[in-house]
Amino acid sequence: MPPSICLRNFSRLSIDAAAHSSSASRLLHPRAAFFSTSSTRYATVAAKRKGSVLPPKKGVKSLNTKKSKKAAADAGKRPAQGERKAQRKRIVLSNNNALEVSSLKDLGKENVLSEQNEGKVMGIPGDTVDALRDVEAFKTTQGWSLFRRPAVLMRKEAVQLARLFKEVEDSAAGQQKRTIRRILSGDRKSGKSTLLLQGLTMGFLREWFVINLPEAQDIVSAHTEYAPLPDSQPTQYTQDEYTANLLQQIQKANGAFLLETKLSTTPNLPIPLPETATLKELVALGQANPEASWPVFVALWNELSQPGRPPILLAVDGLSHAMRNSEYLSADVKPVHAHDLTLIRHFIDHLSGAKKLPNGGLVLGSTSQSNSPKAAALDYSIEVAEARQKSPDDIPQWNPYKSVDARVMESLKDLHTDNKNFDVIKVGGLTKEEARAIMEYYAESGLLRHTVNDGFVTEKWSLAGMGNIGELERTSVRLRI
Amino acid sequence: MVFLNGSNFTEATLVKRSLETFFGIGPKVSQGIMAKFHIHPWAKVGSLKNATVMDLTAELSNMKIENDLRREVQDNIRRLKDMGTYRGRRHAMGLPVRGQRTRTQITTARRLNKVERGGQGQTRL
Repeated sequence: MPPSICLRNFSRLSIDAAAHSSSASRLLHPRAAFFSTSSTRYATVAAKRKGSVLPPKKGVKSLNTKKSKKAAADAGKRPAQGERKAQRKRIVLSNNNALEVSSLKDLGKENVLSEQNEGKVMGIPGDTVDALRDVEAFKTTQGWSLFRRPAVLMRKEAVQLARLFKEVEDSAAGQQKRTIRRILSGDRKSGKSTLLLQGLTMGFLREWFVINLPEAQDIVSAHTEYAPLPDSQPTQYTQDEYTANLLQQIQKANGAFLLETKLSTTPNLPIPLPETATLKELVALGQANPEASWPVFVALWNELSQPGRPPILLAVDGLSHAMRNSEYLSADVKPVHAHDLTLIRHFIDHLSGAKKLPNGGLVLGSTSQSNSPKAAALDYSIEVAEARQKSPDDIPQWNPYKSVDARVMESLKDLHTDNKNFDVIKVGGLTKEEARAIMEYYAESGLLRHTVNDGFVTEKWSLAGMGNIGELERTSVRLRI
Repeated sequence: MVFLNGSNFTEATLVKRSLETFFGIGPKVSQGIMAKFHIHPWAKVGSLKNATVMDLTAELSNMKIENDLRREVQDNIRRLKDMGTYRGRRHAMGLPVRGQRTRTQITTARRLNKVERGGQGQTRL
């Protein structure tokens, strides 16, 4: 704060004193006494403070401990219905204040599966971003809003995933089309959901048919309608509203393929559909009539299973929610197992290998560490699979005192055997080279104001728990902003 | 407005909540009813199909709730009283029935222990 004498002189220079703000005018008033401050000080003490409370009158109750009957003053306009949720779920994918990274190359159909990408940060092209947004692949917890536009680091796990895509595509020419299933597991903030998003990006760019269940919790948490599926033994449950919404996502994300493909089978639907309809019309039917959405989904799946259709990418996030009882209740007030919900069952059948993708494809499930209920059988199976990769002699044993969810164990039994098609991708920490690549990207975006040299990278890499990418972003970008 | 067993509910009311407005239906019973008709716990009355509303009304009309249940409770108390039992007498006097002390803290008993237990019920359309 400057000494008040300076301010006073400064204010005298001003032509119009009234133009000053209230704080300046306070300094203006004691103009008469600038040799000594004592008189003004006494004056302010003597002056009665404005707004001071008078002592209470006699006979009037001054202590009022009862809550006033009047409601508290209206605290402004309340948000409209759904506004707060929209705010909470808002996905921001660009930041105009971040710098454009000139060296950033885009992923494309040709280079997305290339192994040369390893350790590079690559941009996601605009229409793929739109498709990813349609299938709700972006999460609010991820840092997309920090950067100019979405870009991903092609870490070694991503290249591993790309290799799987290539294997499936290579097998498409032959008779035996491959269905590869993978579970993504790893520490908290290690980038599992982002890796899943990278998988979806590859699927979109390679023009696969992509079906993504954005969050398994939404399916099992009993927040949408459900109804028993007729003639199912044991009873399965359809979720009409959710399925209709899923069809909408499918239609938005895979619109081009659906539009140009005509029906080749006669689906068994409760609502008539012309013989020559395109698949888009089929899907639109399911969207418009939620009660027919499950039959439409089944019909769509039959269509996709016809020869000559593209490979399919099935993905789900938050797998452990799908590996336990759901919040729904059956008619005799028993909890419904998540595997009895048709959508989850459809996914699990393909994950477990009970059903094959006729045109080949990839089934990806991602676990979560921040929002995952206990699913002991899943955790154990993942542990076993990881141990098989690392040290095949030292396989953990099931704790016999834990109650086992037999259905989950049965669906994951391939993880316990030497099955090449079903395995776990362990999403670990970044290597230092990868960390350096992403930190250079941070620096070029203007979010990291530091020279990226070996010492700095090593420091941040260690602080981030040996290259945990979420922590790396936190320590190098978020904590500085 | 949705008409459910003689009562009107606004469309934004939860089904669970609207069921629990009836005398004799609490959390457990409402959960059972909703499970029986496959209504999810967060369903609003407005989202129910017409057939489901009819089913619910039929189910509720077969249950012993509201005035039927009140009458049963009151009859039980009246029987005790007419037999001249101690419990009946305590009910009639509005005092604790099951041997609690009466030196302090008997407001609950004062409120509840009467022959006309459960009141008359609110008038429903």
